[in-house]
Amino acid sequence: MNGNHWDVQIRRIFGQNESYLLFIIIAYSVLVIFLNPSFLTLENLFDLGKSSASLGIMAIGVFIVLLSGGIDLSFTAIAISGQYIAANVLIATGVDNILFAFLISGLVGVCLGALNGLLISYYRIPTFIVTLGTLNIFHGFLLTVVGTKAINSAQLPKCFKIFGAKNVLTLVKPGGGSYGVSVFTAIFIAIALLSWFILKYTRLGRGIYAIGGDREAAERAGLNVARIQFFIYCYVGILAGIAGILHVSLIRYSNPTYLVGSELSVIAPVVLGGTRITGGTGTIIGTVLGVALITLINNSLILIGLSSFWQGFFTGVIVAISVSLSSYQSRKNVTI
Amino acid sequence: MAEEFLNVKNVSKYYAGVQALDNVSMSINRGEIRCLVGENGSGKSTLIKIIAGVVKQDSGEIIINGKSYKQLRPIDSINEGIQVIYQDLSLFPNLSVAENISLNQLIEENKKLINWNEVKSIAWKELSNIKKELDLNERVENLSIANKQLVAICRALIQNAKLIIMDEPTTAITKREIDNLLEVIFDLKKRGISTLFVSHKLSEILQIAEKVTVLRDGKKVGDFNASELDYDTLSFYMSGRKIVHSTFDYQAENDKKTLLEVQNLTKKGQYQDISFKLHPGEIVGMIGSLGSGRTELALSLFGLNKPDSGKIYINGELVKINSPREAIDLGLSYLPEDRLKQGLFLKQSIQNNIVVTNLKNLLSKFQLINDKQKSKYAKMWVDELSVNVPSIEVAVQALSGGNQQRVVIAKWLATNPRIFILDSPTVGIDVASKSNIHNIIRQLARKGIGVIMISDEVPEIVRNCNRIIVMAGGNIVREMNTVDTTEDELFEILSSNSKNSERYVP
Repeated sequence: MNGNHWDVQIRRIFGQNESYLLFIIIAYSVLVIFLNPSFLTLENLFDLGKSSASLGIMAIGVFIVLLSGGIDLSFTAIAISGQYIAANVLIATGVDNILFAFLISGLVGVCLGALNGLLISYYRIPTFIVTLGTLNIFHGFLLTVVGTKAINSAQLPKCFKIFGAKNVLTLVKPGGGSYGVSVFTAIFIAIALLSWFILKYTRLGRGIYAIGGDREAAERAGLNVARIQFFIYCYVGILAGIAGILHVSLIRYSNPTYLVGSELSVIAPVVLGGTRITGGTGTIIGTVLGVALITLINNSLILIGLSSFWQGFFTGVIVAISVSLSSYQSRKNVTI
Repeated sequence: MAEEFLNVKNVSKYYAGVQALDNVSMSINRGEIRCLVGENGSGKSTLIKIIAGVVKQDSGEIIINGKSYKQLRPIDSINEGIQVIYQDLSLFPNLSVAENISLNQLIEENKKLINWNEVKSIAWKELSNIKKELDLNERVENLSIANKQLVAICRALIQNAKLIIMDEPTTAITKREIDNLLEVIFDLKKRGISTLFVSHKLSEILQIAEKVTVLRDGKKVGDFNASELDYDTLSFYMSGRKIVHSTFDYQAENDKKTLLEVQNLTKKGQYQDISFKLHPGEIVGMIGSLGSGRTELALSLFGLNKPDSGKIYINGELVKINSPREAIDLGLSYLPEDRLKQGLFLKQSIQNNIVVTNLKNLLSKFQLINDKQKSKYAKMWVDELSVNVPSIEVAVQALSGGNQQRVVIAKWLATNPRIFILDSPTVGIDVASKSNIHNIIRQLARKGIGVIMISDEVPEIVRNCNRIIVMAGGNIVREMNTVDTTEDELFEILSSNSKNSERYVP
């Protein structure tokens, strides 16, 4: 056994691709700290954890869909629908309760997700086409039927703002004022752990891997492919609904035209995390690291002093490089 | 201990008016190793599907373990211990060996949660039962086909298999791996588990089976002891036609021009120090099992696999072949081993497939494709090679294997080759079409084309080539004129070499 070296240990825990990512994250952080020491404050790190939570939750949903060999483009429309409908219902009913908001948004999410799931599992329509269609249907429905007017901070029910400022752990700054670990981060971690458990330790989760590996073989093995697919799209729907509430609580503003159009920037960290777009391969930890890296880049560019317009550019470069590297690696291992 | 396990009695099946199976009976004893052979469309797969319960017979009965079924359901078949391993193996490439082996059992036990220790111990136990070792954590996609088969066998055994049906199991594995597989099968036999191989590789069938059941046109021709069959009788039973095998008579011309000369060609890990010559009008057979380096060498000649060192001369001139385009310009053609994936555009018409290598000559003065010219040209080749089709507009995927191969040949002949490399030209093609393709190849040679024919079927090589190159482990181990050898001798050379040489590890 020569498994005592630290690098071997890390690879065992994280896997090959994930350890590369971890390495890049650390190297990049060191570079940023060197350029701007204020990056390495607990406050900034906690802040990153908070602002990346809704992206992270949606990314986990996308990850599970990609894992099963499908793709979901409609989740942003689901997230904004859940958010905007929940905010409107809270205003209309006067119930100022964040759990009620989660309930409504989650309900909207699961219903819309179920519609995707129905079309995909029962009618066997390709996932790309279904979700490209429902992206526009959901968003179009929201804008025409529910409304187009943005809800500004003053109109927004208080519970969102209170929830947005809530910490699970609060520290006091030396010079007064406080900062801490946001409840957002806790929710993100809880969802990541739950999804990890489902994927690793339940038959349902292994079924998701199996479908992504070879759908026909999964059917022959006696897995109920349709039911598993239905679950996946409902689950993504709920996650999108939750992400929608986090999003509005963070920016204290609900505009029904937000989020839609940002699908690819959610898919990017998932792919960066080592998930194969063809299905069957990928891990939750990879996705979380992918989200971390993308958030890190976006945040640090400003700290370094580059315009935020560079964000898209750098994200693109890193996705392109890392995906080419891993596909080159796997091609090297293939025999003729 | 001839205890009967499965008895298929007078089974018939019609599909849309076509009689796929006509009153077929077959019985398999416990621990028996049986081969089921027949050409495409002979009813092999229908019979298997009926035994698996996937297809219902119109009449007749299936008796398993003494219990008679008029309507066998898939679940009955599985519960009685019948496991079908399809050609694609139905494994999950992205999951570990352990999970692939145990997944079915976990599904069957209807467990909601996975206990990974249990998954591994189930897999480990089954592997050690067949006396094999595999890394349980390795992903199945990283295994060789032979090891994937072992995983599939383990998975079948876990579900209490009494009869394992393997569909074309030897198509893509090396001789050594076949021996390995047979070892496992013989072991299973000792445990009373029967095996039914479905195959149409004639020479292997004779090696593997104890008894052979032959189907033709939905009818059973008979059950034969493998010891009383040889290549010719078996192909006669399968096709119903006596195929006259003449050997290829090559007249060496006096001015022995050399068409192709290969000197000390080497590619690390694939082949070493390959030297040979090819003259116009020759058919040189290149034989060696999978992994012998034969296909890799052919790919190098066609510019698809750059050699590390060595020289290639064409017509006495030193050439470097870096791409298929350059190879084609030098007069080389290569018919790939896997015609479905590499040789054809399956969804395109016959016409489009034939013209694709030669579009340059079909352009009008505006540099656009001239449709009339194109169909005239395609028709010419269809007639020339007697491809049997209703129209040149039919998609290639609708054709039989033999006709598909003729389309591939036509496509390459259109480039006017002087050297034609054919890799396994008759794999998966029925016996009658096979001899037709052999005839086409001989005609090409008579026209002065130099042919290299790669195959792992000894009779095919001996009957069609004037010279034979035997490859093993990346080396040429023997070169001889066909007149100086016999099929039995060549078999002997091959099997002694395949045992001595390890498969290269890429």
